[in-house]
Amino acid sequence: MNKKLILRVLSTILLVESAAMALALLVSVYYQDAGIVPLIQSIIVLLAVGAPLYFFSRGYEHNFRAKEGFLVVALSWLTLAGFGALPFVLSGMIPNYVDAFFEAVSGFTTTGATVLTVFEGQPKGIMFWRSFTHWIGGMGVLVLTLALLPHMSGRNSHLVRAESPGPTLSKLVPKMGDSAKILYLIYTVMTVVELIALMAAGMNLYDAAIHAFGTAGTGGFSNYGASIAAFDSVAVEVIITIFMILFGVNFVLYYKMFTGGWKDIFKNEELRWYLSIIVCVIILITLMILPQYGNVGTALRYSSFQVASIISTTGYVTADFNVWPIAARMLILVVMFMGSCAGSTAGGMKICRIGMLTKQGVREVRHAFQPRKVQVIRFEGKAVEEGILHQVCVFAFVYVALMLVGGFLVSLEGLYDVETNLTAALTCISNVGPGLGKVGAVENFAGYGPFAKLVLSCLMLAGRLEIFPILAVFHPSIWRRG
Amino acid sequence: MRIIVVGDGKVGHALAEELSKEHHDVTIIDNNSEVLKRSEDLLDVLCVQGNGANAKTLLDAEADKADIIIAATASDETNMLCCLIAKRLGAKYSIARIRDPEYNESLTLLKAELGIDMTINPERAAALEINKMLRFPFSGNIESFAKGHVEMVEFRVQESDHIVGHPLHSLSLHCPTLPRVLYAAVERNGVVTIPNGSFVIQPGDRVYVAADMVTITSYFRHLGRNAHRVKSALLLGGSRISFYLARMLASTGVSVKLVELSEKKARLLDESLPGVDVILGDGTDQELLEQEGIRDTDAFVALMDRDEENLITGLFAVHQQVNKVIVKSNHITYADVIASMGLDNIVSPRSVTVDNILRYVRARVNSHGTTVEKLYRLVGGKAEALEFIAKAGDPYIGIPLKDLTSRPGTLVAVIVRKGKVIVPFGNDHIEGGDSVVIISSESGISDLNEVIRK
Repeated sequence: MNKKLILRVLSTILLVESAAMALALLVSVYYQDAGIVPLIQSIIVLLAVGAPLYFFSRGYEHNFRAKEGFLVVALSWLTLAGFGALPFVLSGMIPNYVDAFFEAVSGFTTTGATVLTVFEGQPKGIMFWRSFTHWIGGMGVLVLTLALLPHMSGRNSHLVRAESPGPTLSKLVPKMGDSAKILYLIYTVMTVVELIALMAAGMNLYDAAIHAFGTAGTGGFSNYGASIAAFDSVAVEVIITIFMILFGVNFVLYYKMFTGGWKDIFKNEELRWYLSIIVCVIILITLMILPQYGNVGTALRYSSFQVASIISTTGYVTADFNVWPIAARMLILVVMFMGSCAGSTAGGMKICRIGMLTKQGVREVRHAFQPRKVQVIRFEGKAVEEGILHQVCVFAFVYVALMLVGGFLVSLEGLYDVETNLTAALTCISNVGPGLGKVGAVENFAGYGPFAKLVLSCLMLAGRLEIFPILAVFHPSIWRRG
Repeated sequence: MRIIVVGDGKVGHALAEELSKEHHDVTIIDNNSEVLKRSEDLLDVLCVQGNGANAKTLLDAEADKADIIIAATASDETNMLCCLIAKRLGAKYSIARIRDPEYNESLTLLKAELGIDMTINPERAAALEINKMLRFPFSGNIESFAKGHVEMVEFRVQESDHIVGHPLHSLSLHCPTLPRVLYAAVERNGVVTIPNGSFVIQPGDRVYVAADMVTITSYFRHLGRNAHRVKSALLLGGSRISFYLARMLASTGVSVKLVELSEKKARLLDESLPGVDVILGDGTDQELLEQEGIRDTDAFVALMDRDEENLITGLFAVHQQVNKVIVKSNHITYADVIASMGLDNIVSPRSVTVDNILRYVRARVNSHGTTVEKLYRLVGGKAEALEFIAKAGDPYIGIPLKDLTSRPGTLVAVIVRKGKVIVPFGNDHIEGGDSVVIISSESGISDLNEVIRK
C-alpha cells in the first residue's frame, strides 16, 4: 500500500480545509462575534496536523491503484468531517463531539440534517462555516484538490469517479485537472448569480450567501429555525426553487451549453425524465393539498418549492409536509428516493439509474412472455452495456438494503416509530435532510442518541460517495498488505 | 495541443501515454469499450467510443478543433479514411499508419490527395532503424530530417583523422577525395559551436556532419571508419522488415543472405530482391546456421515472426561471437534481462513507430505559432535544426549564399529542392518552394528572414 500517497492527499485536504476555514474566520472578524477564537484554534489544529504530514509525505509515488483510490476517498471525507466539526465544539454551539461530527458530515455530504435547536443568536462566523461545508462538499473536495494541484492529476480517475455522482464518469475535456477547473468555474458562477438574485429579492449579503451555499451544494442548512419560511417572500422562494432544480442538473450540460450545444440539452434523456417527474409530482401534490390551503396559488407555491427541495435533495422547508395528506407524503417519500441527475451536486439514487431500472423492469416483463426477443436497453440514445445495467441493479439493491439496515440500527435505541426511523435512514442516505414523522420538516435530529447519529453519519457518507468506497473501508481485505 | 489518437491498440495506447505526459489534451477513439475503459483508468485522457472513420464520432471527439490526428488502427484503409475526414472537418495535421507495401508505391499521391501529413510504415521504419545501426556502428546518434532525405551523424574525432588541424574552408585542398559534407555542429568540452569556415577541428571533438545517405557513407569510408563496417549480413525470416532491410543493405553494397522457411515466400523474395541470396530453410536450425557461415558473418539479424525464436537464435549468434547481433522483439518489457545476457540490440517495430510519430508531433509542437515547418532539438537540446519552406517573394531568393549576410551562430545546412538534397556552399542559392534546414545554437528563431538577409 502506498501510504505516503494517502498521507499526501489527506494532508493536502487538511490544508485546503484550513484555507476554507480562514474564510469563515474573516466573516467572524467582520462581525466581531464569538467565532473568532474557536476558528483560530481550529485552523491552528488543522495546520499543526496537516503541515508536518505534508512535509513527511514528500517523495511519494504517483502510482494510484483502485484500492488506494477507494481508501483515499473514504478517509478524505472522514478527515474532512472529523476536523470540520472542531469549530462547532470549540465555540460551544454543539458541545458534544459526536453531535458536532454528525453536523459536519451532514454539511459536507450536503444532507442538511441538523442537531441544532437554537439558530438565532449563534456566532455568524460559525454559522457561515456550517453552510460553507455544503458548498465545498457539493462539488467534491478531491475534485477541488485536483483543480488546485496539477501534480495530482494522472492516474486519478478512481478518485473522481468515486466522488462524482452517477454510474459513469463523464469528463468534459481530456485532462482531469482542466475538467475539475471548469466544473468549479460553472459552480462558482451559478452560486454568485443566485447570491445576487437573492439580494435583489431583499436578503442581506450574509443571509444570501448562507442560502446560496445551501442551494448550490443542494444541502439545506439555514441560519433560521423556520428555514426559508422565515423570509415569507414569494420572490425568494421562486429564486431558490429555480436554483435547486438547476443544481440538480448534470453539470456537463451546462458546459455543453456554453460551448454551443443548445440542441443537445433538450435531447438529454435524463434531463427530460427529471423535468417530467418534477412537473408531474408538483401537479399531483398541488391537487392533493388544495383543500388544505384553499386556493391554487398558495398550494402551487408550497408544493413546487417542496418538490424541488426534496428531489434536488436540498431539504429547505417552507411548509410542514408532515401535516399534508398521506398520499402527498408518500409522493415526497418517492422523490426522496430518486434524487436528481448524475453529475450534479445532488444525492439520491439518481434519475438515470431510475430510468435504466424502469426500462430493465419493462424488459424483464416482456422477456417473460417473449423470451426470444433480443432487447437492448437504450439510454441517451445509446445502447447501455449489460455490465453497467448489472452495476445499476446491484447499486439499487445495496441502496435499499443499507436503508433498511440503517433504519433497524437506528431503532435499536428504542426511540420514535417505524416511519421516523426508516425515513431518517432514507433522508440520510439520499442526502436530503428532513424526513417524515419526528424528523420531519420542522423537526431535527437532536433527539437521537450518539449510536444512531454515528449510523446516520455513515449512511450520509455512503450516499454521498456512491456507497461503494464507504463499504470498501469495512471490507477486511482492503486493509491487508499487497 | 489537442491531439486525437484513433485506435487504442498497443501503439495507440503508448502514444496517448507519452503525449498526455507531455501535457497535451489527448482524446482516444476506439470501437472497443473494454480497451477504452483500461485507458481511461490508466491515463489522463478523454475516451470516445465509436468508429474513427465515422464523421459523427470524430465530431464527438472534437476533431474539428484538433491540432493533430493520429490514425493507428489495424486497418490501413480505416486510417486513410479517418485522416481524410478529420482533415475535411478541420483538423490541422494528420498522421496515418500505412503498412501495406502496395500502398507504399503510390504514397506520394495518396498523401497529397488525402491530406495526410505523415505516414508511417512500422516495418519499413524498423528496417531503417536496423540499417542505421549496421551502417554507423560507431555512432551514438543518427538523426534524419527533411523527410529522411538528410542524415546527420555524430562521431568522435580521433588524432589520426584527416580532418584534424585544418580550417574547414581549406579541407578540400588538403584531402581532395573527401566527400563534401556539412559540418553542422561541434561539441567541445560541453560547449556547442556552429562552425564557420575558419573553424579547426581538434581530436576529441564530437562532430555532427550532415549530408544525404550515400555521401555520408562514403565520407566515413574515407575517414577509415569502415573498419567495423558491416560487409555481410545474415537475415532470418522473410518478413516485411527483412524485405525492406535486405533491399536497403544490398543497395549500399552489403552482401546479404536471407533465410526463409516457406518455399513460396522464399521464391517471391528471390524474385523481388536481386543480389540477395535467399536460402530455403529453418532459421532456428543450428546446423543450417553453421553451414551458412554464422561465424564469418559481420551482422546477424533475427526477424522471424515469433519473438522468442528471435531471442534464442540471437543468443546463439552472440555465443558464436558474431560482431553485430540485432533481434526484433515487440516484447520490450524484459529488455533488461535479455541485455544482461549480451543481447543489447533489440528493435521493436512498435516502439520505433511510436518514437517516429512522437518525433513528428514534437517537431510540430516546437514550431507552433511560427513559420517554422519543423523543429528538432539536437545535441541534447543544445542546438536546433529548423526546417523552413522558402517563399517565392522573399529578398534572399536567387542570391548566392556567399552574398547574403547570415545571423551569427546559424548555418544554412541543407536545401531540399524537389526531393534532391543540396549541401550548400557559397555559390548555391535558394529558390522559392525549397525546404531549407537551418542549424542554430540559439533558440527562438521564427522566420527564415531572421537568418539570412541581403
